[in-house]
Amino acid sequence: MHIVVCVKAVPASTEVKMDPVTNTIVRDGGDAVVNPFDASALELALRLREERRAAGEDVRVSVLSMGIPATERLLRDCIARGATDALLLSDRAFAGADTLATTHALTCGMCELGMPDLVLCGKMAVDGDTAQIGPELAGALDMACVADVRTLMACANDAVTVRAGGDAGVSLVEATLPCVLTVAKEAATLRMPSIAGVLAAEHATVDVRGAAEVGADAARIGLAGSPTQVVRSFVPEQQAAGVEVSGDAIGQARQLVRIIGEVA
Amino acid sequence: MAGLRVDETRCIGCTRCVRACATGGIEVKDRLARPTDACVFCGACIDACPVDAISIERKEAGADLVAYRDIWVFVQADEHDDVLPVAFELLGRARALAAQRGCAVVALLPQGPGSAGSHERELIARGADRVLTVHDERMVPLDAEVCARWVCDLAQRLKPEIILYGATAFGRELAPMVAVRLETGLTADCTRLEIDGATGLLQQTRPAFGGNLMATIECPARRPQMATVRPGVFAGDACPRSSVSSDAAAKDQVVEYPLDASVRSRVRVLATEPAQQGASIAQAKRLVVVGRGIGSKKQLPLMQRLADALDAELGCTRPLVEAGWLEYPHQVGQTGVSVAPELLISIGVSGAIQHLAGIGGAKTIIAINEDAQAPIFGIAHYKAVGDAIEIVDNLVRELEDAVARS
Amino acid sequence: MAAIDKHAGSARIVPLTREHDDYLHDESRSHGEAESISFPTTEGEIRAVLRALHAAGTPVTVQGARTGLAAGAVPHGGHVLNLSRMNRVLGMRRDDAGAYFARVQPGVILSELRKNLHARSFATEGWDDASLQALRALADAPEQIFPTDPTEASACLGGMAACNASGARSYAHGAMRQHVNALRLVLATGDVLALRRGEQRACGRHLTLVTEGGTTLEVELPAYEMPACKNASGYFVEDDMDAIDLVIGSDGTLGVISELELALVPAPAVTWDVSCFFTVEHDALDATVAMRHELGCAAAIEYFDGAALDVLRRQRAESTAFSSLVEPPADAACCVYVELQCASEDEALAELARLGALLERAGGSAEHTWVARTELDREALTFFRHAVPESVNMLIDERRRIDPAITKLGSDMAVPNERLHEVMDLYRTTISEAGLEAAAWGHIGNNHLHVNILPRSAAEYAAGKELFARWARAVTDMGGAVSAEHGVGKLKRDFLEIMYGYQALAEMARVKLVFDPRGQLGRGNLFDEELLDSLRQAGALDGDAEKGGA
Repeated sequence: MHIVVCVKAVPASTEVKMDPVTNTIVRDGGDAVVNPFDASALELALRLREERRAAGEDVRVSVLSMGIPATERLLRDCIARGATDALLLSDRAFAGADTLATTHALTCGMCELGMPDLVLCGKMAVDGDTAQIGPELAGALDMACVADVRTLMACANDAVTVRAGGDAGVSLVEATLPCVLTVAKEAATLRMPSIAGVLAAEHATVDVRGAAEVGADAARIGLAGSPTQVVRSFVPEQQAAGVEVSGDAIGQARQLVRIIGEVA
Repeated sequence: MAGLRVDETRCIGCTRCVRACATGGIEVKDRLARPTDACVFCGACIDACPVDAISIERKEAGADLVAYRDIWVFVQADEHDDVLPVAFELLGRARALAAQRGCAVVALLPQGPGSAGSHERELIARGADRVLTVHDERMVPLDAEVCARWVCDLAQRLKPEIILYGATAFGRELAPMVAVRLETGLTADCTRLEIDGATGLLQQTRPAFGGNLMATIECPARRPQMATVRPGVFAGDACPRSSVSSDAAAKDQVVEYPLDASVRSRVRVLATEPAQQGASIAQAKRLVVVGRGIGSKKQLPLMQRLADALDAELGCTRPLVEAGWLEYPHQVGQTGVSVAPELLISIGVSGAIQHLAGIGGAKTIIAINEDAQAPIFGIAHYKAVGDAIEIVDNLVRELEDAVARS
Repeated sequence: MAAIDKHAGSARIVPLTREHDDYLHDESRSHGEAESISFPTTEGEIRAVLRALHAAGTPVTVQGARTGLAAGAVPHGGHVLNLSRMNRVLGMRRDDAGAYFARVQPGVILSELRKNLHARSFATEGWDDASLQALRALADAPEQIFPTDPTEASACLGGMAACNASGARSYAHGAMRQHVNALRLVLATGDVLALRRGEQRACGRHLTLVTEGGTTLEVELPAYEMPACKNASGYFVEDDMDAIDLVIGSDGTLGVISELELALVPAPAVTWDVSCFFTVEHDALDATVAMRHELGCAAAIEYFDGAALDVLRRQRAESTAFSSLVEPPADAACCVYVELQCASEDEALAELARLGALLERAGGSAEHTWVARTELDREALTFFRHAVPESVNMLIDERRRIDPAITKLGSDMAVPNERLHEVMDLYRTTISEAGLEAAAWGHIGNNHLHVNILPRSAAEYAAGKELFARWARAVTDMGGAVSAEHGVGKLKRDFLEIMYGYQALAEMARVKLVFDPRGQLGRGNLFDEELLDSLRQAGALDGDAEKGGA
């Protein structure tokens, strides 16, 4: 069985502030980390491999990402934690991609790795919050799709059973393989690497490929392949001020008791 | 060639763009900014530039945009065959946009074979000019892939200019599946929609970076333009048509459009667990919402005491769920539960947009926070700046004493 | 009763009422009583309060953040001098060698200081030019940290100095003592003693000190030898010692620390935390010994025994607050946690390779380890470590509801390096003989474990206490310390006598009476009050036969 886990490098913090002096946006994300939802997806893949390994089957867990060259470090860390191999799609031509262009790039990466039986990705990325990559990948790869997976219950050769969230609550769902699962963060906590894992990963190869190498259509990737564009971004304004409740803590508490009594 | 462009006549070499860039994608040499190979076209430098010297230039595909018209609204019914309110909210907004654009509003309504048939009339009454529907057993329960095939089929034939979806769990799975098949753009979880009446260009505004940043997004060269919209963002009660149309009129406005016979679901729902606690927060009349500003998990019992004293439910922000202090059903906000209580007491919550988007329905908001600059104060009706724990401590004492006295 | 409701400077001495209930206990969960309380904000106010109380000889208990575990801040009558409002960083200094020092009031909370240092941002109101200049230099300097790391980051620095706190990183960085460069001590009379490291040294075992008010203190230092291990039991003494070291770890019995100058160190470039799991405790001990010999970058070596892991597993399953806790491997019987602080990633990788190899030799495995290299993973491990004592406290609280006599019973003893296996053997044998439930964790790098008896009944609680006394004797015989970091306070007084003997205790008490002739400060800490009063009555040092306070 072959599982591909799609991961995205995201800033460790998504905090954005307005520089009060220059009135410009300051994004101080700190170091890049693996999107926490994707980390949960990787953990599910590693657990599935352990289960099937116990049953005598070898499972390949590949990690796939599109990003800047420095993302290699994060993929190496995924290998340290147990992934079999990793492919980084890194090229100027990929830059500026929206979800559609990203989907095309990842699809090309998937072909490079060999078509998987199961694709796992985070339900969404903490810096984008779109939750679109999973279902778009399923569409592009013509695979079944289950979003918001909370628990991976069982996985046979032709079908996977999961608990997944939906509008009517959590359901037990069976999907035909090959299949894309998008994983909720609470589904699992990614294991830490062992000393042996860290040391071995230092010598592992993280494949880095450009757009041409994976046969990506230049018109369908990066800025050129992105139908949507951000025309403006801004830190949301605060609205008109409410009523100030001032004084010391005791005074404030007493006023609040009165206000609560009045409004509700 | 598409790429980041710096207008040399405007650039003053101030390096604000360099500071704004998270990827080292721009540098200043000889007092002139220029992009480096690390640029990912995120647009941070454009926002940071004080002299508007930076822009992203794109190669626009010359698609035949004129062939596309009308605004479609996807209508989702729940497991009891009740239409979700977000559909009416979207119809209301679509009417306003259609008025500017001078086009029609069309509702897409997939139904099971046994559906009562009253939805069409209501949709028309609430703003739809036409209803495209299908009665098919493969639509019960709703399956995103099956539904996507139906919508794509329709869209390819009828060429809508815009398709709007409710950002429900189902809508957020369906819309990308449609987008990838139609190879068009999709904007998730919009909180604002505007239209250029002349060009039909839809300006879609949504929170990004966990709600700390708002982004306005356009899809200039592909059609249809698609967006999912958070339930509760637009008013659903606006009913622009003065009277309910007659049955006969309604009949002309409803078109049955069959689902391709080859379409098969690849996902089966085996069982559904009953919905849990979350509902109690969504429907609570009074709500205490706590955020990271309470400092420590150890303060939760105090917060619960406050909730108990007020006969309120306890909710929290996303970071607290992420830290494991409370379970997900307690999470209030865009990625959690949207709430609309009579009274909401917000404690130690800074107020990221994604959180504020989820509490917009609260009638009265009292915010308690140490940071006078916290965005939560921007929407609070009453604001207490000070040590949250100390204030709550006193508040609980006052409330409990009041109960003891009575 | 003295001076109640009179102004003492601007710090009012007010009667202690129900709203002050919180100030009658600390984290040790024992309760005391007092008649009055004050919250000074400056040294001048501390002096005014002490002067007002001195005439009547009112007992004074000094409090900081009340996070202590030995009841040192629990009042025994009289006055509570609470320093929590003395929470300002007063200034900063950069010496010629480029080292940074922070000058703080005693009530500054450790976590706040860390936050300030990390952000390189302080409330600088009232800072002198030299301090502001040092702060500007800090902006471009490598990040500085204060290395002492007690598990409880809400401790205050004055309290940490008073009991010579240490914690996990004391394996590499030592205890609080070596990071305190100077301090100011307000004596019971209101006079002040300013001490700076290197400036006032003893001659042999005799120390002569002059206060700012011009009074000379002649201190005859006790003759006992300090154990050759981590220690926070009784006054620190050695030949030709630095006077400042006598005050650090004195449990609030000599004076009130009104100001500290703390030595900062540059933050390590790379910090990796490694949890190593074992199936047999003996292997973990062997590995610990090997780590001490072979690892050059270990900042902390910590231990969690099987029972501690079990409590954690149970808490994780039962409590929402702990559900995000990483789960210890099912077959893990114990865990040794190592924090590596290295100058580069390459150095860290080399150290990791050494650690892997030594684990294999000791019977562990390079596979059965968790390496936390990212902020998120390190947070997860920190949560894991902190969840252990918290889980045990919750368990005890649960049992206390059934029998209020049950309370936390945690040891704090350390032995010299070569005694590690022996002391573990002692713990295991005696616990099992007594049929008690216990969980052990702590600073195994310093042979310093907190063995916590988990009593199921009042009888087991009593049996546990007895066991502790037995351990105190055995640990003393091994050349160890009965309190390695929590301080003696009021709870471990009896152990102190076991460790040093009555004679040494009397010598210590005489030191105290030089600083505090009326025996007002920290009554009940270190010494039995009767011992103190009998020495005073004997008139050995204090001609004044008047009885003390309340």
